[in-house]
Amino acid sequence: MNLRLELTKLLNLCFVFSSAYMFWQGLSLVANTHSPIVVVLSGSMEPAFQRGDILFLWNRNQASNVGDIVVYEVDGKQIPIVHRVLREHHSANFEKQYLLTKGDNNAANDISLYANKKIYLNKQKDIVGTVKGYFPQLGYVTIWVSENKYAKFALLGLLALSSLVGGE
Amino acid sequence: MFSLSQRFQVLINQAVTFSVFIIAFIVATSYIDLIYPNNVFNTGVATVNSIKPSLSLRTSRYFGSINSKPKENVRLEFDLDSDLTNLFNWNTKQVFVYLTAEYNNTKNTVINEVTFWDNIITKQEDAVLHLEKAKSKYSVWDISEQFSGKSLKFKLNWNIQPWVGPLTYGEIDTGYELVVPKKVEESSKKQRVN
Repeated sequence: MNLRLELTKLLNLCFVFSSAYMFWQGLSLVANTHSPIVVVLSGSMEPAFQRGDILFLWNRNQASNVGDIVVYEVDGKQIPIVHRVLREHHSANFEKQYLLTKGDNNAANDISLYANKKIYLNKQKDIVGTVKGYFPQLGYVTIWVSENKYAKFALLGLLALSSLVGGE
Repeated sequence: MFSLSQRFQVLINQAVTFSVFIIAFIVATSYIDLIYPNNVFNTGVATVNSIKPSLSLRTSRYFGSINSKPKENVRLEFDLDSDLTNLFNWNTKQVFVYLTAEYNNTKNTVINEVTFWDNIITKQEDAVLHLEKAKSKYSVWDISEQFSGKSLKFKLNWNIQPWVGPLTYGEIDTGYELVVPKKVEESSKKQRVN
């Protein structure tokens, strides 16, 4: 066993992970949001977005427009929700904005989803970002990995195998 | 020298590069199709007519009421004509079309936009809109106490959802303005007289 070779491999692996991390953080910085890329988890925006579709977010806009598709997080719940803005009310200097949202595929608006009996979302506090770009189905891998208990092992096995095979 | 994993890596690399080019081509050509020969961002025509508002008082949280205090809700009846055929091309998955109204509060310190009606169009054949005496889809309330007395400016908006790439938005000014009648009591009285 060549120690130097093994250490170089380890260093390469670290390089791959750190560059992926840097890419993600860089994207967050540019888009001004903690999750610049999200995967659609529910069918509430069908037929526009299906489960597994990938969305690219942007959060440098001062205010949201009616019709924008926004991602928001309700306090106390971890799951981000992707829905369309149905109404907006903003102060003339754009300091405050209140939004009402609805999923295209849902019959009713989102008031029943909001926390603490609120009937509006706060643009500055609740909105994670506005959907700007779309890529279909690629995110299904992450849904598969997080929901199938064997998928994680399969992925780990594949990584281990590739590192063994890629030795020459 | 040419191991399985190397071959695999080269294959993946080429597939990714190739698809990036194809996607860029699709996005660019579909955008050009939208602006040439007719620029859909400023040649759209939409007419709304004979909008009839009707007011009601609601006491549910789901109709904007806070602590069961009665809240004015407005619904509309309207005619709408528009042709959105030009918005469809090879990268259009659906067009989301929505009728909104813009209005300010009396001191012009709060600016509002609300949706009264929307529709999802998935086929080009369905892109010619012709609605008569259509009912608004939503019961709309204002963030303040009252809706009556507000002057509404109507717009027809569209959003193209692509198969891949950026989402595109546009709006068509209908030129239609409407002042919501003063009070719930008055409008209901009028209806009784009629």
